[in-house]
Amino acid sequence: MAIGVLALVGTRKGLFRLRGDDDRRGWQVDGPLLDGWGVYHATVDSRDGTVYAAANHVVYGPTVQRSADGGKTWQRSKKISLPAWSDLTVNAAWHIEPGLPQEPGTLYLGADPGVLFRSDDAGATWEPNLGILEHPTRDRWFPGAGGLCCDSIQLDPRDPQRMYVCIASAGTLRTGDGGKTWLPVNKNVAADYLPSPYGEIGQCVHKLLLHPARPDRLWQQNHCGVYRSDDCGDSWQRLDGNGLPSGFGFPIMIDPNDPDTAFVIPERGHEYHYSPDAQFAVYRTRDGGQTWEEMSDGLPKPAWAAVLREASASDADSVYFGTQSGSFFALAGGTWVEAARHLPPILSVEVTQWSV
Amino acid sequence: MVRVIVPSVLAVQAEGRQHFEVEADTVGEALRALPVADLLFNERGEWSRHLNVFVDGTDAREQGGPACPLAGAREILVVAMLSGG
Repeated sequence: MAIGVLALVGTRKGLFRLRGDDDRRGWQVDGPLLDGWGVYHATVDSRDGTVYAAANHVVYGPTVQRSADGGKTWQRSKKISLPAWSDLTVNAAWHIEPGLPQEPGTLYLGADPGVLFRSDDAGATWEPNLGILEHPTRDRWFPGAGGLCCDSIQLDPRDPQRMYVCIASAGTLRTGDGGKTWLPVNKNVAADYLPSPYGEIGQCVHKLLLHPARPDRLWQQNHCGVYRSDDCGDSWQRLDGNGLPSGFGFPIMIDPNDPDTAFVIPERGHEYHYSPDAQFAVYRTRDGGQTWEEMSDGLPKPAWAAVLREASASDADSVYFGTQSGSFFALAGGTWVEAARHLPPILSVEVTQWSV
Repeated sequence: MVRVIVPSVLAVQAEGRQHFEVEADTVGEALRALPVADLLFNERGEWSRHLNVFVDGTDAREQGGPACPLAGAREILVVAMLSGG
């Protein structure tokens, strides 16, 4: 029995499943599931195999959908709601993060307007986290072009009480008490669009990842640069002055076996959002961000590519991403393989293993 | 008894059913009786602004929205607002 990779590719018009061979060169595409829904994120819960999707519709609103049979049938969670006293309503479901192995049935959901939900019944119902909803700095948060999205949720595998959420544009917040209180951890992270660019709050994190083999290490692709923290976010080092054509980008990928390796996809910043000088490339560091090398073999040029914050993933064997022009790429032996093209605009990518 | 017809994306969310027969005095009551009611109203009980509802061919928004009386109406047609792009 061969082991391949299953990519869940969320698009503006539904969820596609791409099955790749173990060498990541041959791929099969099927879909769309959740036809007509914008799948901002979909993931497989490795604890029980359930597929979860943050599915949004311009008319029917935000939902969480879950499937216990690999996507054949779906159940909708009870309506995701915020309390009336908050004067807020849920605008979009962004990211679903399954809990740790020792908390079965627990999942987290990041949503717009800068809110975090928790489910303790395997996604049937969701309760808002009041520490985030009532955060004392909330009046200084403001939405970016994608809304006030909560798109990164990272759990410390050593400590169920510690987790991180990122909100654009509030920055990174860390809890050490299971979500009761949240500390902004944005020291040295720039917010160039603010009068005081190194404030406590207001940073625009596009994606944050915790390294599973060294959980004190965090990687961050921000609106204003690429950063690494080696102390759980207490301080950050900026890494994009040494070989990257731009510090701007959305996704970031890591190698689960090597805490010093990360991948970013630079874009011309701020108002533009496409490959700098039409040179579409992924950049890899293998020394913690001290230097970066271009990886563009197999990518089209010239190309004006744009890759969204949830549209990348990695595993022990490869890295993967999808573009807003509907192409999905996987790295195979140092060369990018275009596994699918002409999909609807790709919003999200996650990968898991499957058996042939 | 009034017949409610929903668009195809909603029907998928209702286990494939596109037609429903419900007892209701108002449009809001009828729509809240559907298994997709959570997709028609936001958490404050308001219709999505991108949703159109017609009662026997008349726009229910012009007749009080959810409070629109049914009074002998035969059909409620739920239509997702058309948009380009």
